Amino acid sequence: MKLYRIVLNDVMRRKKRVLYAAFGVVVATMTVIGILTISNAGQSKLLDQLEKYGPNLTVSPAINSIDMQMGDLSLGQLSYGENYIPEDILPEIQQIADSEIRASGIAAGFGPDEKISTLAPKIYINTNINDVKVTVVGIDPMEERKVKTWWVIAEGEYLASSNQVMLGKVAADTLGLKIGDQVSLNGTNVTVAGILAESGSNDDLQVFATLATTQTAFAKEGFISTADIRALCNGCPVETIADAINSNIAGVRAVAVQAVAAAEMGMMNKVNTFMMTLAGITLLVGAFGVINTMMASVNERIRDIGIMRAVGASRNQILKVFIYEAIIIGVIGGIFGYLLGTLLAYIVGPIIFDGIQIAYILTYLPVSLGLATLLAIVATSYPAFRAAKVKVADSFRSM
Amino acid sequence: MLEINNVSKIYGEGHSQVVALQGVSLKVTQGDFIAIMGPSGSGKSTLLNIIGCLDNLSEGQVVFDGQRIDILNENELVSVRRGRIAYIFQQFHLIPSLNALENVLLPIMFSGIKKNGAGQQAAMDMLRRVGLENRATHKPSELSGGEQQRIAIARALVSNPMLILADEPTGNLDQKTGKQILGLLEELNNDGHTIVMVTHDLEIAKHASQIIVLEDGSIVNRMSSQAEKEQTEE
Ligand SMILES: Nc1ncnc2c1ncn2[C@@H]1O[C@H](COP(=O)(O)OP(=O)(O)OP(=O)(O)O)[C@@H](O)[C@H]1O
Ligand SMILES: [Mg+2]
Repeated sequence: MKLYRIVLNDVMRRKKRVLYAAFGVVVATMTVIGILTISNAGQSKLLDQLEKYGPNLTVSPAINSIDMQMGDLSLGQLSYGENYIPEDILPEIQQIADSEIRASGIAAGFGPDEKISTLAPKIYINTNINDVKVTVVGIDPMEERKVKTWWVIAEGEYLASSNQVMLGKVAADTLGLKIGDQVSLNGTNVTVAGILAESGSNDDLQVFATLATTQTAFAKEGFISTADIRALCNGCPVETIADAINSNIAGVRAVAVQAVAAAEMGMMNKVNTFMMTLAGITLLVGAFGVINTMMASVNERIRDIGIMRAVGASRNQILKVFIYEAIIIGVIGGIFGYLLGTLLAYIVGPIIFDGIQIAYILTYLPVSLGLATLLAIVATSYPAFRAAKVKVADSFRSM
Repeated sequence: MLEINNVSKIYGEGHSQVVALQGVSLKVTQGDFIAIMGPSGSGKSTLLNIIGCLDNLSEGQVVFDGQRIDILNENELVSVRRGRIAYIFQQFHLIPSLNALENVLLPIMFSGIKKNGAGQQAAMDMLRRVGLENRATHKPSELSGGEQQRIAIARALVSNPMLILADEPTGNLDQKTGKQILGLLEELNNDGHTIVMVTHDLEIAKHASQIIVLEDGSIVNRMSSQAEKEQTEE
C-alpha cells in the first residue's frame, strides 16, 4: 500500500470534512470562471456586432448634405442625388486600401496580387415608381452582400441579374409589389425578384437594382454615389486607409466607420479590465477563505500529525499527505467550480449584457482545475508545515 | 542502551514556571522492563516524552544507543523514531479515519523499509500477534478500548523497535482488559523487547523488573521488583 492510497481512503472516509474544505475552493474558482465566461461572451457579442456594422470605410463625394443611417450607426452626413464619383477611381481606392493593409502586416495568407478588401460601389437615384417617391440603389450584388452581412431574403431570391429588382420590406408594402411583378425604372422594365426582411435601416425603404441597370436607366453611366470598403479584418488600419484615400484622391471623402466601433471596443476593453480586476479580487478573497478552511481542517488534525510523526513520518511526508489531500480537494473544487461558474455565467450573463449568447468554454476546465489545485495546495501547505514544526508532545496536548 | 543524566525540564517562563523534572538520572539496559510510578503531576509523562524525544529538555542529556539524542534536530530524530523507539499512549492515539491495518501500516510506510506486499504481510502478522487479525478493516471507533490499545501495540511492534515507551497503556481500560494488555507487554519483554512504562497501579508495576518512583519531578525511590514485593509483603 502506498501513501497516496492511505490518503485516498482517508479522504473517502472524511467526505464531509473534505467537501467542506473544497467548498471554499469551489466558490473562488466558480466566480473566476463565471466572470471569464461572461466576459468572453460579451467580447464575442461585440465582435459579432462589429461584423454586422458591415463596411469599415465609406467613400463618398467631398460635398455632404443628407444624413445617412446604417443599422443603429450614424455614418455622418452623406450626399447623393446631385454629387457623383467617377467609377474609374475604384481600382485606385482598392489599391490604396490593400497596400495599407499589407503595410500593417496583418494580411497574412493573402497573395501579393490578391484583393484583400471588398469594394461595394453603389449609386442612389431618387425617382418615382407608381407615383410613389422612392430611392433606387444600384449595387454590385456580389460585393454588396459581403458588406451587408445582415441581409436576409424574406421572399423570392437575392438580386442576380440586370433585369431584376429587389425591394426593401417597407418599399414593397408601400408600392404594393409582389414577387414576379413588373416595374418600370425610368422606362426600363424589370421584375421583382426578392424582398428583404425588415432590418430597421434605410434599406427597408429602398429599391435595389444592379449598378449597370440603374446607371443606364437614369443615364448616369460611369458614376457612383458612394463605395463601401470592407477590409475583412478586425483591427485593420481603417483610419490610415481613410487618410491615404483622402490625401491621394481628389473629390472624395473617406470616413472610417470603425471610429465608432473602436470607441465601442475601447469601452468593452474597459469593462473587460474591470471584470478581470473583479476576478482577481474575488480570487484573492477566495484564497483567504480557502486558507481559513484549510487551516481549520489542518488544525483539526494536529493530533493526527503528531501521531504520524511519532510513528516515523518526516516533515516532508506530512506535507506530502496534505498535498495529496489538497490535490483531491483541488480536483473536486476545480470540476465543480467550472460547472457552477459556467452555470453562473448562463444565469447572470444575460442580466449584465443584454441579449448576450453565453457559451461554455471547455478550455476553462483545465484552467479551473489548475487554479483550484494551486489554491488548495498553497492554502494547505502553510498550516501543515507549521503543524509539523511543533513538538510532538505539544500536538497531543492541544487536543 | 539508554542513559539519562541529570535531566531537568521547566515549562513556561517567569511566574508561571513549572519545574516538571529536576535532576533525574536513569539507566536502562537491553531487556529491561521499567515501571515509572508516582502521583499525578509528578512528571512521569514528561520524563517519558523526553526519553522519546517527543519533547525537549531544559538541562541534562539523553544518550540512546550510543548517541546523544537530546541535541538532534527534527530531521535527525526521524531516524530514531523509525524502528528504534516506539510509543504506546494512554489515549491509544490511533488515526480515527484509518482502519486497524492502515494504522499498523503507517510506520512501515513512512520508513519505507518494506515494499508493498512485505509491509502488508508484516502488519497482518502483528495484528495476529495481538489477536486482532479479524479486525483489520475496522476503524478505531468500531473497536473497544482494549482492542484499540492492542492495535496501537501492533503498530509499535511492526517496526521492531529497540525500545518501547508506554505512558499508562492501561489507564483507559478496565482492570480485566488492562491485565490482558499487560500480559501482552510482558510477553514482548520476554521476547527481548525493552520497555519503559508509566503506571499508577502498583499491581501492574509489580510485573516490571525495576520500579522508579517520581515525586515533584525527582526520583525518590528505585527498587527491583523483588525488593518491591518484599516491601509490600512486610
Ligand atoms: N505543556 C506544559 N506546560 C506547562 N506545564 C506543564 C506542561 N505539561 C506538563 N506540565 C506540568 O508539569 C508537571 C508534570 O506533568 P506530567 O504530565 O509529566 O505529570 P504526570 O506525572 O504524567 O501526571 P499524570 O499522572 O496526571 O499523567 C505538572 O505539574 C504539569 O502541570
Ligand atoms: Mg501523565
